[in-house]
Amino acid sequence: MAENGQSDGGNLLSTSGESQAPDKRVAARQLIKRYYFQLTEGCGDPNCKNEHCASSKKVQPLSPNQAAAQALDLFARKGRLCVGTSKNELPSTFFPEITSAGSSAMSDQQLLKQELWVPPTLNVASYSANDKSGISKLTKLTETSFKQIIDNCNEFGIYSKLVHTLGHVFANPEFLGQSFIRQGNSCTSTVGHGQLSKEQLRSMEVDLDKDKDSQEAVAEIRLQDIGQEVSVDICSVRRSFEAFSSIQSQNYESALVHALILLCETIELDMKFGRQKAEVNLLNVFVIVFELPWLGTGDYFESVLPTLCRACALLPLTQQATLVRFWATHSVPNLRNLVQTLQQLISFRVLSGDFGRDYAVNDDNTITACVKVMRILYCVNIFSCTTRSKSTDASNDSMETDDPSKDSFDVFSFGIDPTPRLGPKQNKTRKNDPLMAELVVNVLDCRKPPVAFTDFYNEPLSDVVEMDRDFAYFAAASEAPPSASNNAIKISFMNFPFILTPAAKALGLYYDNRIRMYSERRQSIFNSVMNGQPSNPYLKLKIRRDHVIDDALIGLEMVAMENPSDLKKQLVVEFEGEQGIDEGGLSKEFFQLVIDQVFNPDYAMFAFNSDTRNFWFNPTSFESDAQFTLIGIMLGLAIYNTIILDIHFPMVVYRKLLGRKGTFEDLQELDPTLWKGLTELLEYPDSDIEETLMQTFSISYKDVFGVVYNHDLKENGASCNVNLENRREFVELYADYLLNECVGRQFAAFRRGFAMVTDESPLSTLFRPEEVEQLVCGSHIFDFEELQNATEYDGGFTAQSETIKYFWSVVHELSVEDKRRLLQFTTGSDRVPVGGLGRLKLIIARNGADSDRLPMAHTCYNVLLLPEYDNKEKLKERLMKAIDYSKGFGML
Amino acid sequence: MAATRRLHKELEDIKKSGLKSFRDIQVDEQNILTWHGLIVPENAPYNKGAFRIEINFPAEYPFKPPKIAFKTKIYHPNIDEKGQVCLPIISAENWKPATKTDQVIQALVALVNDPEPEHPLRADLAEEYSKDKKKFMKNAEEFTKKNSEKRPSD
Repeated sequence: MAENGQSDGGNLLSTSGESQAPDKRVAARQLIKRYYFQLTEGCGDPNCKNEHCASSKKVQPLSPNQAAAQALDLFARKGRLCVGTSKNELPSTFFPEITSAGSSAMSDQQLLKQELWVPPTLNVASYSANDKSGISKLTKLTETSFKQIIDNCNEFGIYSKLVHTLGHVFANPEFLGQSFIRQGNSCTSTVGHGQLSKEQLRSMEVDLDKDKDSQEAVAEIRLQDIGQEVSVDICSVRRSFEAFSSIQSQNYESALVHALILLCETIELDMKFGRQKAEVNLLNVFVIVFELPWLGTGDYFESVLPTLCRACALLPLTQQATLVRFWATHSVPNLRNLVQTLQQLISFRVLSGDFGRDYAVNDDNTITACVKVMRILYCVNIFSCTTRSKSTDASNDSMETDDPSKDSFDVFSFGIDPTPRLGPKQNKTRKNDPLMAELVVNVLDCRKPPVAFTDFYNEPLSDVVEMDRDFAYFAAASEAPPSASNNAIKISFMNFPFILTPAAKALGLYYDNRIRMYSERRQSIFNSVMNGQPSNPYLKLKIRRDHVIDDALIGLEMVAMENPSDLKKQLVVEFEGEQGIDEGGLSKEFFQLVIDQVFNPDYAMFAFNSDTRNFWFNPTSFESDAQFTLIGIMLGLAIYNTIILDIHFPMVVYRKLLGRKGTFEDLQELDPTLWKGLTELLEYPDSDIEETLMQTFSISYKDVFGVVYNHDLKENGASCNVNLENRREFVELYADYLLNECVGRQFAAFRRGFAMVTDESPLSTLFRPEEVEQLVCGSHIFDFEELQNATEYDGGFTAQSETIKYFWSVVHELSVEDKRRLLQFTTGSDRVPVGGLGRLKLIIARNGADSDRLPMAHTCYNVLLLPEYDNKEKLKERLMKAIDYSKGFGML
Repeated sequence: MAATRRLHKELEDIKKSGLKSFRDIQVDEQNILTWHGLIVPENAPYNKGAFRIEINFPAEYPFKPPKIAFKTKIYHPNIDEKGQVCLPIISAENWKPATKTDQVIQALVALVNDPEPEHPLRADLAEEYSKDKKKFMKNAEEFTKKNSEKRPSD
């Protein structure tokens, strides 16, 4: 306890470009005061070695004016400051409220003078309103002492003592870090009055110190595991803070705000310059401060929260992880509030900032710090709902072990590529977030988070992030070795994907894809020059309309066998005998044709569940693996070429694609009836379960052709009854069989195809399964108002044209099904793109004066050609006819 | 077959119990998942005949409920013209794996005897049943005489 981290006057002068001048001034004044009292009164430690401290007896007696001058000087020189610097008590001139408070206040002052030197053995609990001098000795707060201070203050109506306490303890990481310490069992409901004496507290402190000593001796890397635990009694903190409610906030608010700012800035600077002392329990400090109920309001929100986040973001990952574990057990109910408060701060900073090419959001260290703190909360969210006991990591068996792209050469290793190298192989396995890796959790294991994942999206931030630049930072960061210092590399929000909306992330993926495609293209030109071989910069498919599947299969199979990296080229489809040039529209149609055919129940590759309207792999499909691989490739290509597909897989398919096995929970979506029946089994209350159900570990299922198959879930399953003990095992084996085992061959082929296209992209790090589904299938909500607002007009139409008014009034009257078909007609897909219908950029162009011609569509550009029909009925009739007859590319 | 053991037991129990209102149970040796039987109601107007039903058990039985279909035409608010019947006990929401087929049959017989016009499958008949019971009874009796099976003699 020799030197206090806060002694550095430089803290206050070197803060980043924040406009907190008034706060700084207050903090500076406090510091000068402390120097003053150190010079005149000393810190009280008889062994003090500080030459600027009266207690060291090295200071000549000073007149008040001399002392003040020297204090200023010390402040400017950042002179040494003792920790226990006594007497934060100030001359009455500093406290007008005391002098004006009449006689009682005066006696208060006198008493104070008499008791200036309170022996350090003073019982903490024995503080009365009069012995303020104790505050300066107060190096920690307990619930009792804190409440007593509040009670005393309330009793006399004078809050200087509380103000002092707050200013003293809450401004000092060391003091705050040892406040509200858990005693014995955590969360004592009521704290009796038999409080610990100071000696007892001291001895606890010694224990803590011992811990630290041993910790230093034992481990240097994982020191947090032993020493830096959260030792705060959080219930006690909460009760203490509730006590604030008995006081009007103006009595302490500014003191608390200033103390907290000082606290956070001290921590921030100490950590930045590596001066953090091991014995200061910062985790306790953060736990206590984040408990403050007013972080989302007023000065706390504007001044405290930003610095708090900046400080907290600097915590080493191991400590962040400790914080996550603590909050996950104690603060889940508050999590949503905290998330919302942080979101407000981020949005506020984003909206009030002026970001452009020169100063991106990535450069604003308050925003980035908030995002890092948000990651802590995100991990709390995941950690609190993850049951790690039954980890369903699929890496062992259902995960593809064979590497589909093993023979693909590294296309980025040529010097001619100026684009950032896209660390190709390391993305193959899902690269977990470092904090989540520290915690050994995975977002895929979190089924029912206490706070919805969508609450973590920050739309203003997602809108303002320049994804191209962010992607460059992202690529640079994944390039750098993990050991490299983080300072050199700018933060990429793609490394914090939870904060970005799927639309923004899709843009990030788009840049990744485009850069890859362009480098592929450049590569092919390079090859053709070097080897004299003509090479196609596109992935070209020639398709006959009556052999769509065969042609696609053969075409893609050839590519996959000969040169799988060609799959990453931009897709260009040519229908034989048709003159359309593929600017996107033809590939869209091609996809739709393949999907239509493959998912046709007669084709029997997939089984349709009429209850859930979802498709699942047909375990007894006649089709070869190649067909399933084709579908996997198609799915990957659709993401790569930003095409939306009309396919209905249950979420478990996307979970499995991202590397998790299907589990019993997934059965709920795949087959809700069966899931319910099995849940009933798990809840069956009586022990006559064997006689009643007569169920063995042998199950039956029916395939799409109506044939019933039997399967033993384990060896001799038919002779093993399901009972109360083994029913959980039965249910899990059952689900595992349906979701993983019986479709293992088909799914492996499917996944292989998907991986051929996406293996190098950051898809799996950026997106959660439900977001991948959104990428593939688009959103499911048709908001045609949104479409109308985003639609542009061409060829003479404006939003005010009569025909356009007819058009929208007809469209809004259509049934959902007809809207779907209209979307199919105009855009080639009936799914809503990620980000909503407004992203479609529909253009309605005038196609001549009123006539009997039908409306036409250029699906590749989302253009609808509309003759200027002169009445609504005709428009509707023509439009519906066009929709009915649409299919195939050509002129109507 | 997995569900076989329980279904055989249930079939045996039902046959043994000699239900008066559910008789003539026939099950194909090869396929225990499909049962046929004759519902013999006691209440008017359906006591003028008998009704053939088919019970289909899913492969996942008893974790999924069986389905029941009437093979004989019946004039009944809760049974539609295709013979589909809406029986709460075997709906996906209410089904319990511990529910036995004889309970299901008893529920079905009860429904046939006492229609529930509040949850109709045929709104027209439900309306007639509630508003003009006499007419309903007359129509139903005629329909039963004309379309239903002969009641067993004993």
